[in-house]
Amino acid sequence: MIDLIASSAALMNASATGVEALSEMMLPQLAHDIMAYVAYGLYVLLILGGGLWAVLARNLVRAMFGLVVTFMGVAAMYLLMASPFMAFMQLLIYIGAISVLIFFAIMLIKNTSSGEEVNFPGPLQALTALISAAAPLVLFGPIIVMNAGKLAQTETPVETPLAELGQGLIEYYVVPFEMISVVLLVAMAGGVLLAWDKRFKK
Amino acid sequence: METILVPYTTDITLLSVLKLVVALVAIILLLIANSVVMVYLERKVAGFVQRRPGPYEVGPWGILQTVADTVKLLGKQILIPGNSDRFLFLLAPVLSMFPMFLMFLVIPYGPILTGLEVNLGLLLILAFAGMEGLAVIAGGWASNNKYSLIGAARAVSQSVAYEIPLILAILALAFQHGSLDLSVLNRAQEGWIWNWNIFTQPLAFLIFVITCFGETNRAPFDLPEGESELTGGYHTEYSGMGFALFFMAEYTSMMLVSFLAAVLFLGGSNAPVDIPLINGVWWTLIKMGAFMTFMIWVRWTFPRVRFDQLLNINWKWLLPLGLLNLWVTALVMKVVGN
Repeated sequence: MIDLIASSAALMNASATGVEALSEMMLPQLAHDIMAYVAYGLYVLLILGGGLWAVLARNLVRAMFGLVVTFMGVAAMYLLMASPFMAFMQLLIYIGAISVLIFFAIMLIKNTSSGEEVNFPGPLQALTALISAAAPLVLFGPIIVMNAGKLAQTETPVETPLAELGQGLIEYYVVPFEMISVVLLVAMAGGVLLAWDKRFKK
Repeated sequence: METILVPYTTDITLLSVLKLVVALVAIILLLIANSVVMVYLERKVAGFVQRRPGPYEVGPWGILQTVADTVKLLGKQILIPGNSDRFLFLLAPVLSMFPMFLMFLVIPYGPILTGLEVNLGLLLILAFAGMEGLAVIAGGWASNNKYSLIGAARAVSQSVAYEIPLILAILALAFQHGSLDLSVLNRAQEGWIWNWNIFTQPLAFLIFVITCFGETNRAPFDLPEGESELTGGYHTEYSGMGFALFFMAEYTSMMLVSFLAAVLFLGGSNAPVDIPLINGVWWTLIKMGAFMTFMIWVRWTFPRVRFDQLLNINWKWLLPLGLLNLWVTALVMKVVGN
């Protein structure tokens, strides 16, 4: 009996050291790198694939689901860059609220798959689309090129603490932060204005 | 405030991977067991509330009824309605069930027992809960059936509306304890029973309970599947396993909000009284079970509300009350904290 207790105690000790050894068995740096690159590739595919799906879909609801895939890819990309807060906010706001709002907008209008979005857009429309697609490139391109040296880093990104993030938003970046809400206010006012116009015409 | 600053461990060890796999398997088993037990319990409680025996034919006291139902559902043909969006139709039930596994990973079942330690656990659950609405949209729209579509539209407007007071109520808790980590919130309610958040945040608890019914589409807020108006709601066209998955997702989201109620408001794994052998995990499970039974009891007691009533309760009562609660909490924290 005593033998049994002793042997089981020895076994427990052995398993404890085993667990310790297991927890210290880090994957090699190479495996980390490969996983990061694979994840990056996968998320880029998600973003681009979702975007293409959204643009090429013949049906608005299907296009919305393409957009959702893109949102998820972006959220995953935030996670890869060690900012889980941004990732979860992306999911909460864009997938939980914005896409649902888009669904509502689609439900309110006539949704047929033979509408005008099926036809290939005219040259003027295509040009406008190209310009608006290139606008972010013109705006952010120079910034990226100027900061290329600073941005390129190979070590694992470090997570910004949530408190620091919040403090940044209400102290250093308070003006841009408030400006974004002004944009939303303008959009809301525009929506009200459109609805107002319709009501008076009737 | 220090709890926020705890950094993640981003190092992947074999042990962490092993732990994740074990946790996922355990969660899948838990969710299946939960659905089986809950279907039986719901029918039995409904029976008792309405003064009839409930299921009693299959097995003693009818406890094998759910097993028979499951076999029946598994054997049924999966019908896909004509002119429907095949891909989204088949994707929707899977989409409704899939995020659930992730959300159960971050729940602290005991003081240190969780599947995945994340310092933003609460936010993770809220973020992935939004995908439930997406699944309902996909299913309701892809069915090519007006009842399904109306059910989906109702579900969506309801879940979007009720999400706001829910977040406001939870935000008050986050203000109070300075953390979004569920384990930290669990530990913060240690000690005496009046440390529980139900006593420190009674208004938040009230809002949370009401929004729970709205978010899980349970009676009295079960308008997305109002049988008398919609013949079944967003899952009208689903048969076999598709329907079973939607059904399972409903019971799983019920268990999720019950776990959240237990951990956030009812003291989590902290014991109200010392009972030998019952500690930690068992208290969480007991509180979760009690809250789920309460949800079933409410369902069979209250009639379904009208849709305008549902939205009025939310926008005219819960939202202002939630904002007030948040404001008072912030004020008290500022006065007491400094």
